[in-house]
Formats: sequence, structure tokens, C-alpha cells
Amino acid sequence: MTTTAQPQRRRRRTGSRAERRFALLFLLPAVALVLTFRIVPLLWGFGLSLTDATGLQQGQFIGLGNYAEMAGDPNFRAAMRNTVILLLTLPVWVLLPMILASLIHLGVPGGRLYRSVYFFPAVLSSVIVGSIFNVVLRYDGALNALLGFAGLPAIDWLGSGSTALLSLLTVQLWATFGMSLLIFLAGLSTLSSEMIEAARLDGARLWQVWGYVILPAMRPIIEFVAVVTTIGVLTNMFGLIYVLTAGGPGTATTLPEFLIWLEQGQMGRPGYAAALSMVLFALMAGIAWIQIRIMSRNAGL
Amino acid sequence: MADLILNDVRKSFGSTDVIRGVDLTIEPGEFVVFVGPSGCGKSTLLRMIAGLEEVTSGTVTIAGTDVTEAEPYDRGIAMVFQSYALYPHMTVAENMGFALRLARVPVPERRRAVEEAARILQIEPLLDRKPAQLSGGQRQRVAIGRAIVRKPRVFLFDEPLSNLDAELRVQTRIEIARLHAALGATMIYVTHDQTEAMTLADRIVVLRGGVVEQVGRPTDLYDDPDNAFVAGFIGSPRMNLLPARATGPQSLRLGTLDLTLPQLESRLTAGQALTLGVRPEHLQDAGQRIEMTVDVVEQLGSTAFVHGALGPDLPLVVEARGSRPAMGDRITIALDPARLYLFDNDGQRLR
Repeated sequence: MTTTAQPQRRRRRTGSRAERRFALLFLLPAVALVLTFRIVPLLWGFGLSLTDATGLQQGQFIGLGNYAEMAGDPNFRAAMRNTVILLLTLPVWVLLPMILASLIHLGVPGGRLYRSVYFFPAVLSSVIVGSIFNVVLRYDGALNALLGFAGLPAIDWLGSGSTALLSLLTVQLWATFGMSLLIFLAGLSTLSSEMIEAARLDGARLWQVWGYVILPAMRPIIEFVAVVTTIGVLTNMFGLIYVLTAGGPGTATTLPEFLIWLEQGQMGRPGYAAALSMVLFALMAGIAWIQIRIMSRNAGL
Repeated sequence: MADLILNDVRKSFGSTDVIRGVDLTIEPGEFVVFVGPSGCGKSTLLRMIAGLEEVTSGTVTIAGTDVTEAEPYDRGIAMVFQSYALYPHMTVAENMGFALRLARVPVPERRRAVEEAARILQIEPLLDRKPAQLSGGQRQRVAIGRAIVRKPRVFLFDEPLSNLDAELRVQTRIEIARLHAALGATMIYVTHDQTEAMTLADRIVVLRGGVVEQVGRPTDLYDDPDNAFVAGFIGSPRMNLLPARATGPQSLRLGTLDLTLPQLESRLTAGQALTLGVRPEHLQDAGQRIEMTVDVVEQLGSTAFVHGALGPDLPLVVEARGSRPAMGDRITIALDPARLYLFDNDGQRLR
């Protein structure tokens, strides 16, 4: 850790040769674990992505064939389109918990209760969440019954291509925003109350205190929540998709991780699935890179 | 016209009374220090003046206007906080100009005001930095600068030096005194440190338990305290307060020592329990002599504080100027009746 954090000191050698050798010994278990369970599978996966393996027999090397096929694969394009839609909803994933956390922080009546209620779904498994919302959202479900009472026409929330993805995202939002809310609450509690009072004395009305002081001071946390949420929705929605829509109707709710599972487990094409995984990996590596940049930019704050 | 008038101001949190009726008038240009032990309500009183804390009853008047219900920014005050309370994402210049920006003051005028304040505080080279890049002392200057820029009627300081180290504290204290002289503004300053109070104040307000114990010039409080609390709080090291018993209208017994106080105007009843106060610096000159064994010496070079006892439960601190007493020495001290303070059982002064 210290050598990567302080590159200018990397070349300074500490201790005798025997000590350094001993230090390597202590590093060995961690290095071995990372190599065995992270690096090797990654390289293996990359190798696999260059073959037409079917799972039953060793595949033939086909170069970048899988990647070329991806470009013309309508399922892959649908998954990417869905990913873009998902990323476009990101402001909601960040703003909703932030606004609710601010209200709780400002001390609305019953704030403690709201905090527990909002967080509660975060402890449910996605299969349970999916089962609950299956009851609510299916065509003869509770939501449509409610709409019926209000005299509104029923909508096939999960079965129609235009609503399925947004329904799915809403369910995931309901299930996970409690965690973001807690992160925001923790961030808000570190703001100095004297700073907010100073702003009031400087003449800031409530919304100005919010816009000029609280929001900028919360920026690192907003960025953190944005990145964590993005990675979360890209890697943790499988269970929900499986239970609620199975990627359908058509490809309306097929996200990359679901597609990987389809190709690997259902279509018996581990080679192609490995190529898809590589793309998802690259996508998330890009996000992680942005995350590291954001964090180092905020280090001086 | 007075700059600030507090009229029977009270504050309760639920059933707890924090401020229990404070009356105070502060004249323009005065430097007033609220001092008292922690929990005495001095910060709460300051925050009530600022409008950050609601007033339960009574009125706060600033420059002739009743501001009891007014918002903080409508009161013509500026406040410097103990934690500096700077905005971490703004530069020093933006911090100092924030109030003017909110008031929609044009940019050139704003810049002029910020530069003027920065010049007074000698922080011009720091204007483009962020608070995180500043030392504690520099942050404190920025916080003061932010107050100056607003040209307030009254400056409020809430323990502004508590987060600084000892050397910087002395230095900043002098600068605040200089600033007060330069700006001529009314300043109210809260501290628990009686040295800060003595050195800065035109008038000191000593608070205890939400009540004003005494208001007066620093020398008045030092020379003529109204009660044993003020006598013990003002002065360093603190006044020796010893239990004594009256033996006649003007005489008393302290341990094995009989003392007569000819200048005492009130009359004592024999057997009355009393507290006798005498400052460490007043035990070396004329008066009734008595010997004491030195237990501990705090040697400061120019002077030394000698700890000893006149008898069981009668510990005494003596300032020994110009001598170098050692542990175990016998020294002679002098109790001058004119320098003795007498307090009754409730701590009220008997003159």
C-alpha cells in the first residue's frame, strides 16, 4: 500500500537483504490468493473468449471471432441499449436518497422511523424482492387493481416492452436506495453545524445554504454513491431479472450480466460468454478508473 | 445610543433554564468579554444575540431595533466561530466574499472589500487558496476577515482562540486587540480563559449558571470582586479562599491566627462562618507575619509560586518575587488587613 501511495519513495530500500526476503514471505499468501482467484481466471477468461468452446469439448482458437460476432448480435446490442437507459436513470438513483437523507437530517418528524423503513429492503434477497413485486406488478396484480379502483386502464408492467425495463429499475431502486441513503446520512452528519450557521449569518436563505454550502461539501459523497450505484446495477440485478422478467419480453430487460448467463448456461457457449464478460469487465474497469480519478481529485478537499 | 441591549433575556431547553434573566447594555465601540466556566451559558447567550438560538423570553435590541425575532442576517452582526466554520470548497477570497455575493454586491466592489480586509489581516497572499491548505492561525484570520468584509455593527467571537496553540493564541489575542482599536467596532467575545478576558476587555461580564455574577472593567473585577466566585475566577493564580470564623465585630480567626480588620464597615457576629480571600501576590509586603513551610515551588524565573499550608485544610499559594525558595524552606508571609477580602457563607462580599 505505502509503495503505491508514495511513488516517490518506491526506490528507497528499507532493511537488510534478509529482512526483505522475510517480508516477501509474508506477502506470499496474499499474492498467491490474488493470482489464483483473480488474475488467472481473468487471463483464462480472456483465452476462452478467443475460442469457440461449447463446454463439452475444448474449443478451437478463432481469434477475435466472438468479438466480431458481438457487433452483429442483436441481443448484445439490446443489452447495451438497456445499459445506456439504465445509466441515464442514474441521477434518480443519486438524487432520491440524497433528498430523503437531507430531509431526515434536517429533522422531519419520524426521521428515525423513515430511516429504518427505507433501509429495510436492503436486507432482503433479490429473489424475495422479485417475488413481492411479481405479486404487485403482474397483469392481475395489486397495482393494476389499484388503478382499476381509480378508473384507470390496467398496464402490463412486466409484459410490455415499453414498461418492463423501467418497472425493473424501479423495483431495484426501491430495494437498494436505503444503502445510499445511509451513506448520505453519514456524510451529512460530518458537516459542521457551525459552517451551516456561518452561512445563515452570511445571509444565505435555506435553499442557498443547500445549494452553496451543503451540496458542494457533499460532492465527494455524491460521486461515491454514483459510482457504487452504477457498479451495483451492472452486477447485482441478475436475481431480479431472473425472477421478474427473465430478460423479456423479447430482449427488453436483458442486461449484459443476464446475457452472459444466457450464453454460458442456456446456449452452452462459454467462449462467447467469456467474450461478453470481457466487455462487461472493460466497462466496469472504465467506471473504476473514473472512480479513482474522482477520489484523487477530491483528496485535497 | 447603545449598540446592544439585553432586557431580562431568558433561555430554557425544556425544563432546564440555561440563561436565567440577563440585563446588559453595551455601548458603541465597546469590547465586552463574556467569561465563565464551561456550562455557564456564555456561548448560548452569544448565540441568542446572533439569532442562532431562540430567546425564550425577554428582548434583544441591536442599534435601537428590537431583533428578538429577527433572522441572523438581518441583525447587522458577524460571528467568528471556534471551529472557524470556513466553507471547504471555496477559496479564501470566496469565503470572505460569500456574504456580499449573497447580497448581490457587484463583483468589483466585492473584490475591493475582500482585498481591504485581507490587507488589514495580512492574508493577501492566501486569497486563492482553499481552507485545507491553511494553518490553524491562517484559518482563524480568514474567519475574522469574513466577518470584517460584512462591516457589521457588532462582532461576535465564540472562543476564537481555543483551537490555537499557546504561542499563536497570545499573538492572535494581541491582533484582535489591535483590530478592535483600528475598526472601532463593538465586539462581544466569549471565552473561558480569564487571561483573555483581562487583556482584551473594556468590560467583563462574569457568568455562572446562566446568571451574571458581576459586570465591570477588568481592574474593577480584580480589585473589588462582588463575590467569592468572581474573586476566585479573575486572577491567575487564583485567589486563596480560606475558611475562617468571626470572633468579634471586626475580628476573625484563621486557623491559629487572630486577625483584626479595622477598615471593615459591616459588622460580624462572633461565631459566623466566613471565607477569607487573599491574592498570592499580596502576601509579601506589610502586615501580620506568619511562617509557612514550602511544599511545592513553581519557579517561573521572574517570580515563583510557592504552595504551602497555614494549617490543616488551609492550603495557601504565595507569589515570591525576587527570591528562590526551595522545597522544605520556612518562609515568612505577611497578611495585610487592607488586602484581605471577606465573604459571607453564601459567597457575598463583606466590605
